[in-house]
Amino acid sequence: MRALLLRRLATALPTLAIVLILSFLLMRLAPGGPFDGERPLDPATRAALTSAYGLDQPLPTQIAIYVGRIARGDFGPSLVYRDFTVTDLVAQGLPVSLTLGALAMLLALALGLGIGLLAAGRAGSRTDHALMLAMTLLTALPTFVTGPLLVLVFALLLGVLPVSGLESPRYLVLPVVALALPVAGAIAKLARAGLAEVLTQDHIRTARARGLAPWRVLVVHALRPALVPVASYAGPAAAGLLTGAVVIETVFALPGLGRYFVQGALNRDYPLVLAVVTIYAALIILFNLFADLLYGWLDPRARG
Amino acid sequence: MSVYQVAGLTVSIGGRQVVAGIDFSLEAGECVALVGASGSGKSQSCLAPFGISAGIAGGSAKLLGSELVGASEATRRGLRGRHVGFIFQQPMTALTPHLTIGRQLAEAWTQAGAAKPSHRALVEALGRVELPRAEELLDQYPHRLSGGQRQRVMIAAAIAHRPKLLVADEPTTALDAPLRRDVLALLSRLRREEGLALLLVSHDLAAVAEHADRTIVLNEGHMVGPEHPYTLALRAASPRLSDPAPDLPSPGGSLLQVSGVRVEFPRPGWRRGRFLAVDGASLDLAEGEGLALVGGSGSGKSTLARAIARLGPMQAGNVTFRGEPLPSRNAIRPQQRRFIQPVFQDPVASLDPKWQVADIIAEPLRHLTPDRDVRIEALLDEVGLGPEYASRRPAELSGGQAQRVAIARALVCDPQILLLDEATSALDVLVAGRILDLLAELQHRRRLAILFISHDLAVARRLCHRIAVMEEGRIVEEGPAEAIISAPRHPSTQRLVAATH
Repeated sequence: MRALLLRRLATALPTLAIVLILSFLLMRLAPGGPFDGERPLDPATRAALTSAYGLDQPLPTQIAIYVGRIARGDFGPSLVYRDFTVTDLVAQGLPVSLTLGALAMLLALALGLGIGLLAAGRAGSRTDHALMLAMTLLTALPTFVTGPLLVLVFALLLGVLPVSGLESPRYLVLPVVALALPVAGAIAKLARAGLAEVLTQDHIRTARARGLAPWRVLVVHALRPALVPVASYAGPAAAGLLTGAVVIETVFALPGLGRYFVQGALNRDYPLVLAVVTIYAALIILFNLFADLLYGWLDPRARG
Repeated sequence: MSVYQVAGLTVSIGGRQVVAGIDFSLEAGECVALVGASGSGKSQSCLAPFGISAGIAGGSAKLLGSELVGASEATRRGLRGRHVGFIFQQPMTALTPHLTIGRQLAEAWTQAGAAKPSHRALVEALGRVELPRAEELLDQYPHRLSGGQRQRVMIAAAIAHRPKLLVADEPTTALDAPLRRDVLALLSRLRREEGLALLLVSHDLAAVAEHADRTIVLNEGHMVGPEHPYTLALRAASPRLSDPAPDLPSPGGSLLQVSGVRVEFPRPGWRRGRFLAVDGASLDLAEGEGLALVGGSGSGKSTLARAIARLGPMQAGNVTFRGEPLPSRNAIRPQQRRFIQPVFQDPVASLDPKWQVADIIAEPLRHLTPDRDVRIEALLDEVGLGPEYASRRPAELSGGQAQRVAIARALVCDPQILLLDEATSALDVLVAGRILDLLAELQHRRRLAILFISHDLAVARRLCHRIAVMEEGRIVEEGPAEAIISAPRHPSTQRLVAATH
């Protein structure tokens, strides 16, 4: 366990550095720059700006400057939102995105596991087929369809929840649900498939022979090993949800991190994009480590 | 009142009847054995009434006066939870992998409604099935235990709730010979001490005979009498040490010389050091000679044989074939591989499921197209299969047929040594007997030398002139088969001989 943690930490930093350098190079490969606007700047101003932000240095030097700064926890100034540092922008957006994503992930896990268990408990029945069909639909429907649909029903027709904005926790209900549904569908299908496989194994017959209640066989003897595929899906999925769901944040006008992802890239706001990438990559690494620790708990044989 | 009474019991799977009317009754402290080859319906007839197999039971099966056949699942669940303990064949997979031994034992303890057991009580429960170091075992997960330990845990769990009836479905088939005897003795002792009724399912007529009060032989779902040809065939099928010495071809000149073989593996997990699987083993083999490598599970016999055949790693030692050193696993040429050909334990798993039999057999012959089909047909004929098998796939073969294909695949390159790694252990008794007959015939006709890996001395003796006994990676005793069997010297050999019928 401790060995695994140390090994992962040792690889995490180089991984982050490589991700940063690659995204930096990719951004520079794309045509256009941060100071290209509708109206061209006069050459003297452009040269002054370029040199002020260090963009006239050779690429390796620039990379060294950026990565070095990020290593010290400073994301630098935004090239487009001139009065803000990137740290300010992230500090505004991240808490909203984290709250939204964490709630959506919890809801998706609860819904997905509950439905997966229900369907596996009645494997082959009409309930099972109906639930699995619904889950396929949920995963197939994009959030820009389910989001407005939820708004239409719950905000406009029934009037029980607000349409958009973020003035009180009630405003988070619809976006959280819209964000959670496709993930819940995927988790339910993975859990159902995992359970179906585990339920054919010998140790389930031993548990049934013991005269245990069916739900006990399912939850105590079958569920944990069946969750291995769920864990490998849920790690990256959680990282994606937490760093901001662009579509949902746009549909519901939430001031989260997601819009910086898009706007930063479109505006060639290099420090902003690198900041978002860093957070995203760090979360991916963190959740994959978490998933690895989880495997050991789900199936002790994986501990070696 | 009988503990368990069965009358006119039938079992059908998917509309097909697999058990056609069997009757017996079982009193407290008694043992009834259900014996038959695979597919005889013996497991189904003991599991289906309790609702824990794919079969649907008909007729009547009464547990302590309550009818099981036709009862609701809730009723049957209650009855088996309160009054019955089950032991299954596969100790490696029958325990839940993510729960500790202590947790599973405690669950079994409380399944009939008893209060949660104390730590002390669980330790004693493991002591009753003769498991030492019970304190440590309680906190372990099943995969840390050996097969024998797991089967004892299964037994401890099966009797933890003080059942009236113990159903043991081939409880010893997956264990090696000394363990088989110990586990059967343990079951007999528990039956006497606790007054349990024991329903024992087995394919080995002789092994259960001394433990059972009554033996029921099943043939394709029907009960047959003790003088029925099937019963006699079943009795004759497993080789016994009391059989007369077999007729073996006389060995020729020296073929294979092995000296000082050492094989080590890194220890699993995060433990330091290396595990010595084979420690300085030496042996030799002559043309047409059979040599048996015998030992318990984990004694290193398969690892040694694989090292010799260059299928597994080897850290030190020499192997010479007809006086020429055999190159290492990575340097050996295909032409040199053909001299030693293996046949493995699980015939279906060792054949590629997607391939046709003809392609499996002819794979080493890819460059010999003109008479390919003729050779395949001749080989199929030699192993007792018709030419129509050439186009089948492994899933369409029975275990015995698949093993015949595996033997044909080994013979296609005209080997001089056959490496048989438990080649008959996974097969049903009757089928295994016929495969042994085939191997004996090949041994005579082709003057094949045989390296026979087995945990069963009596089976090994059918084909082998000499026997080498392995324990903890070392060959502890080696000599002519009859001498080893009649006068074993090493304690390990003595245990093996005593455990063999």
